[in-house]
Formats: sequence, structure tokens, C-alpha cells
Amino acid sequence: MAHQPNAASATVSAATKPKVDREHDPRNPRLRLAAFFDEGTLELITPEDRSGMLAAVGTVDGTAVTAFASDATIMGGAMGIEGCKVVVQAYERALADGTPIVGLWHSGGARLPEGVASLHAVGEIFAIMTRASGKVPQISVVIGAAAGGAAYGPALTDIVILAPEGRIFVTGPDVVRSVTGEAVDALRLGGPEPHGRRSGVVHVLADSERDAMDRGRTLCSLLGAQGTMDVASVADTDLSQQFPESAKRAYDVHPVVAAVLDEGAESVELHPKWAPNIVTTLGRLGGRTVGVIANNPLRLGGCLDSPSAEKAARFVRMCDAFGVPLVVLVDVPGYLPGVGQEWDGVVRRGAKLLHAFAEAVVPRVTLVTRKTYGGAYIAMNSRSLGATRVFAWPDAHVAVMGSVAAIRILHRRRLAEVDDAERATVEDQLAAEHDRLSGGLPRAVEIGVVDEIVEPSATRSAIAKAIAEAPQRRGQHGNIPL
Amino acid sequence: MSHVVSDLVANVMSIAVSVGDRVEVGDEVALLESMKMEIPVLAEEPGTVTEVKVEVGDVVQEGDILAILA
Repeated sequence: MAHQPNAASATVSAATKPKVDREHDPRNPRLRLAAFFDEGTLELITPEDRSGMLAAVGTVDGTAVTAFASDATIMGGAMGIEGCKVVVQAYERALADGTPIVGLWHSGGARLPEGVASLHAVGEIFAIMTRASGKVPQISVVIGAAAGGAAYGPALTDIVILAPEGRIFVTGPDVVRSVTGEAVDALRLGGPEPHGRRSGVVHVLADSERDAMDRGRTLCSLLGAQGTMDVASVADTDLSQQFPESAKRAYDVHPVVAAVLDEGAESVELHPKWAPNIVTTLGRLGGRTVGVIANNPLRLGGCLDSPSAEKAARFVRMCDAFGVPLVVLVDVPGYLPGVGQEWDGVVRRGAKLLHAFAEAVVPRVTLVTRKTYGGAYIAMNSRSLGATRVFAWPDAHVAVMGSVAAIRILHRRRLAEVDDAERATVEDQLAAEHDRLSGGLPRAVEIGVVDEIVEPSATRSAIAKAIAEAPQRRGQHGNIPL
Repeated sequence: MSHVVSDLVANVMSIAVSVGDRVEVGDEVALLESMKMEIPVLAEEPGTVTEVKVEVGDVVQEGDILAILA
């Protein structure tokens, strides 16, 4: 957790840079805070001094927000006793006012000269972040290095946005090299690629510092100014237009998610590159913020696996904590089979998704578009886990497994005796018989695990109405970074 | 140079590109069959195909390279 000298060099080292007037230094935290808030609304709540942190209140699209920023002009933004007090003060203010809180991070970690006292102070930030978890939305914008203690700060918050120059790691390249002999640079260790695609540490990869701020602003608005559902404004479109002709053909679910959400309204996809077989997006429906969770058949056939279950579980819990209703778009062939998955803890990590849905009290509406099978059927916000409403399109399959797979197990001996030439015909007959007996979609409706069959052209309004009619509740729990 | 890889264990149903072809982001490189679905593998970066590493009918493993773009 010590201050890493190399962390500062991940961006531009102050020592190699010509001296700039502090008033024009882009790392000046007051300038960064001013750039984040609506113009002219910045109001500092802590003094501009040598603490290494600065806190302020202001508005984002008119919504009150609290924010703090590292002062990277002093010791690479290292965090000491006074700087940590600034962050704690910002949190106390956000909790008292009930506003979202945003951290603009650019810090090498704890201040070495202050010794253990600085570690203690950083720990106090972690403690208040945890106390605030699930109470006010916490968003981190990592602009430069966020090393050691400054890495775990953002990691404890609800959403982490990374600017192109942002680097997040526990120990920097120099320490890695001296301890393990491994030669790696800051970019590969903790840049956009590893955290966006491999580790899942970062939710949003931004194109620039400005873009990172703007994404943070959009998220403040989505979580802090959720609005109310105006069902009458929800126009129906034929969502089936977004699907391929063949039910076997995989497709990208992103256009479907976009078609469900309000056209032209703000939205942010979280973790777009990590576990891309499930899509988690905050957007608006009927003007109200909703969270969409959708299987993406283009990636891994849309199967659930360990990272995607964990990603979705965290998203569900965040939405529940902040009272954001959920729309669950289901087209899932099952859990991804294999040794790799089992050893990766698909049972333990998959259980997180079951727990997250079963615990959630926000309105949560499921739509089965094409198919939902087996354990993945249960996990994707099924009736049994307490879904508000479960809709299915007329041709959807709801089953333990596909009927051909099922009859290959049920009729293994009989099929073994059939000539290869006739096998396909016999399988089709058995599958049709199996569908009739096991009931398929009509049976699912009969026993109440599907509430209603809806047409693709009436789906948007059905989802909006189901959300609007449900009790608007909010989970009473924190949002542990699963 | 970038690699187009398979996400999962699958059968190669068809290959949409040949050496020398120019591909853009989102173009189909190959069609795989897995989990009883036909899953297109799309280029994530633009480039020219310098090598196709698989044939129709091959079984590919997770992480296997299907084609190389330069």
C-alpha cells in the first residue's frame, strides 16, 4: 500500500515536466472538479492546501452531487492523514445530503513519510465507503495512477470509470520487477486493456479525461435523478425485427437492449468487454432509470458462466440498493459446461446471481425472447426467484433442455438401434412427442412460471406497465464489490 | 497484427474469409457451431487476412486462433 514512485510516472512525471502555473496545471484538483460539475456550480467544502485532496459540492445536470479529487501536483497525489480527512468529510456530506459521491482519482497511494498513520487514514476512507455502500451512489473516475490504497478506494465504489491515462494496481511495475522478476509496464499491469477485459475492475473505459468525466456525469444523473415511469410515453416497436430468422443463429443483443430502452435517452453499459456474454446497461424506460440484464448469444452462445454470473449479480445488487427496477432479457442455452468452468468456481460464483435476484425487492421483469433452459432458466430472474412478472414471446422455449437433447438422453437405447439414415426423422418425432408431453410454453403458463405470452410488438409497453404497477421498493443492503 | 480467436469449444461450420481479404470491424470471419447454436465470430479489429488456421469440420478449443489479421 506504500506510495509507488513509478505510479506517478504512469502518466507524466512532475519532475520531467516544465513548471506550470498551478492555476493552469490540468492536474489542479479545483480545475478538475470545476470541469466535472455544471458550469459555475462548484462550491469547495475543504480548503485548498497541501493535504493532497480537495472536496466540493455542485450540480450535475441540475442534480446535487458531492465530489473530491486527488491533488496530483503534490507528491503524485499521495494520500496522507489530512488528505484522507478531506475524503471522509466529503463522504459525511454526501451521506447527510443523500447525494451521489464522485471521486476523481490520481494518486500513487499512501504518503510514505507519514508512515503507518497514513495507512490508518486510508483505512478510514475504506471504512466510510463501506458504511456509505448502498446508501448513496459512489462513482470513481480514475484519471491518472491509482496505486496501492488509491486502487482500493475506487474498487470499493459502485462504478469505476477509467480514463486512457488511468492505471490501477496494488503494486507498481518496479515492485513487481524487484519481487517476482517479472518485467511489465504500467499499461499492461493496470491499464484499460487488463482492467476492461480481464479483471473486471473497471466498469467503463473512457476515450479521454473529458469523456471519463462525462460518463461519470451521466451515471450521476441515471442513479441520482431516476425520474418516474411515464407508461403512456412508451411507444411499442416490433422488437422481433432485431432477431435473425433462424432460432439457431446467434446475434448481438445490443440492438435489442437499445430498442427496449428509450430512444435517444442517456445510457451507460457497464463492463462491456468483461464477461461479454451478458450485457448490463443502465438506461431509461418511459423516462425512468432501469437496469437491463441481457444474455448475449453472440458471445459464448449467450451461456452463463462464472464471470458473467458474477458481473450480473453485482449489477442486480447495485440496482436493488439504489431502487433501480430491472429488465431481464433472456435467451440462454444454459451454463457453459467444462472443467475450466467448474474449477473457476461456476457453482460458487453462479450462486451469487441466484442470491442477488432472490434478494432483490425492486420491480424486476423478465422477458424470454427465444429460449431458457435448465439451471440458467432459474438464474435469469425466474418466477421461483421472485420475478415481478415473467413474459415470453409466442415461440419461446422454456424447458429443462432443448427437446432433441432431452430425447437423446431419455431414448438413448432406442436411438442406438436406429439406422443412421433414419435417426434425424426419429429424433424429430420423439422431440415433438416430448414437447407435447412436457408441455413447453403452454405448460409454463399453466403452472404460472410464465405470467403472460406477449407479442414482440407489445413488449415495451408490457414491461413498462409491469414496472409501474409494482411497489417501488429499494433493497436495504450494501453493494459489496462481488 | 491481431488474432481472431474462438471463445469456446466448437465445430467450424464455415469460414467467411480467405488470405488476402480485407475485413472491417464486425465482419464475419467464421461460423461456429456450439451449444446447438450457430455462432458467428466477428472481427474486433480491421485488417487483412494473412492466415486462416482452421478448416471446415475442425473442432476448436477455447482460445484457439481461427485467423490472423495484419
